[in-house]
Amino acid sequence: MNDWTGSLSLDLEDRNGKTVAKRVYFQGAFKVMRPIYADDSGQVCYYLLNPGGGYLDGDRYKMQISADEGSKVTLTTQSATKIYKTPKSHAYQETEINLKKGSYLEYLPDPLIAYQHAHYKQKTVVHMEPGATLLYTDILTPGWSPSGERFSYDSIQLVTEIYWDGRLGVFDHLKLVPQQQKISGLGFMEGYTHLGSMIAISEQMDAALLDELYDAVMTVEADFTFGISDVAIPGFCLRIHANTTQTIERIINQCHAILSEKWNHRTPSSLRKY
Amino acid sequence: MNNQLLSLFQLCDSNFPTGAFSHSFGLESYIQEDKVHNQETMLEWLKAYLHEQLVYSDGLASKLVYEALMNDDLQQIWHLDRLLTVQNLPRETREGTQMIGITMLKLTESIYGFPILTQYRDEIRSKKAFGHPAIVFSMVAHGLAVSKEDTILYYLYSAISSLVQNAVRAIPLGQTAGQMIIHQFIPELNQAVERIKELTIEDFGIVSPGIELSQMKHERVNIRIFMS
Repeated sequence: MNDWTGSLSLDLEDRNGKTVAKRVYFQGAFKVMRPIYADDSGQVCYYLLNPGGGYLDGDRYKMQISADEGSKVTLTTQSATKIYKTPKSHAYQETEINLKKGSYLEYLPDPLIAYQHAHYKQKTVVHMEPGATLLYTDILTPGWSPSGERFSYDSIQLVTEIYWDGRLGVFDHLKLVPQQQKISGLGFMEGYTHLGSMIAISEQMDAALLDELYDAVMTVEADFTFGISDVAIPGFCLRIHANTTQTIERIINQCHAILSEKWNHRTPSSLRKY
Repeated sequence: MNNQLLSLFQLCDSNFPTGAFSHSFGLESYIQEDKVHNQETMLEWLKAYLHEQLVYSDGLASKLVYEALMNDDLQQIWHLDRLLTVQNLPRETREGTQMIGITMLKLTESIYGFPILTQYRDEIRSKKAFGHPAIVFSMVAHGLAVSKEDTILYYLYSAISSLVQNAVRAIPLGQTAGQMIIHQFIPELNQAVERIKELTIEDFGIVSPGIELSQMKHERVNIRIFMS
């Protein structure tokens, strides 16, 4: 199964206070743009992009990222990930992230938009040494169909595994199959259309920070509901139900700013894309 | 009915003191938001909880643990113990389940004395495992030579009946309404077992986003009668 539609691998290291790629490789329909340094913190930002504009039937993408000690990186996408209809075989993305102690990686992609009759599966595996920091987010939209009907995709499945010091510490499995589930009803989206998640892992996690994040989210004025809780390793998971991508982004940005200041001593710059 | 099965029934009794009566697994958040307020809405919540969460976690684990016991594959059991714990992202629900699991383990070790239960306790004592009621229950049922299918069914029954008892107190509902729910739920339990038979470890841990969110929200519920 090495026939990837697109693959990308990026290995980062710290060189005198500046994070640089010691190896970048990509092929097929997956690309990384040139590195951007928004300030003098040495933190690098990479935009990932899919030159084809979206995932097609049977497409398979693979991404491997590693961050050595002291390296700091923001990864984002250039635009929303679009999954077009997949009549034969689901579209698939596999991501593997390896973080050495003292590294900092934030993955803040644009939302996922699955089109009518799309099947999509994503598997993300993160290996962290204690002392590494991870911020990982996802935004699921109700998708797109020509008639404007919501949740017209066939399935979206996201599996996230985070290994901490060699042992599984977080396992998150979301699978939305609108035709088989009462998707907008009790237990699922509860009348909302969008689902946002943030998982953040760091040894610097403490109870006061969880309260601070909770209070910060509470100040956001919009129609949404959320939950935030400590996971089994040092860190937390935040889940948001809302009706727009923008609301979820505002909440994620709010939390991102707090975490970046506390854990990374840096004020994040805006990820301007359009 | 044979004595083995009767012996397992002791564990299914909602009076079996595992501490499950202190946990609502997010139900209390729904009650406080007035989304669950009578027999009908409770039944709806219970269906979502069973078919969209419990089936993929405890239910599937119960089958996989039973199979691992038949194959003497202890590593698989300890792996499932970790999976069950780390996939439970809401802290109260995770810690509550662990507490119930450990209490159930201590009790059943005294009652049945199966060596596997002692091994499980040793793993937990040496911090290699966490403790989970679905695993303890399956170990006991396997030890009593109850079939795999019945093991899953009775485990689900015990989880659901104790939640209904909690709902009776919290909503509140009349005792008759509570019993009606349990009775109406029998076909749902059988359907869940049929579903679990088709599942593999690839399906493990699928969460119901709304239920999970309500379990996280419970941490911030001010006036509460349940610990989760």
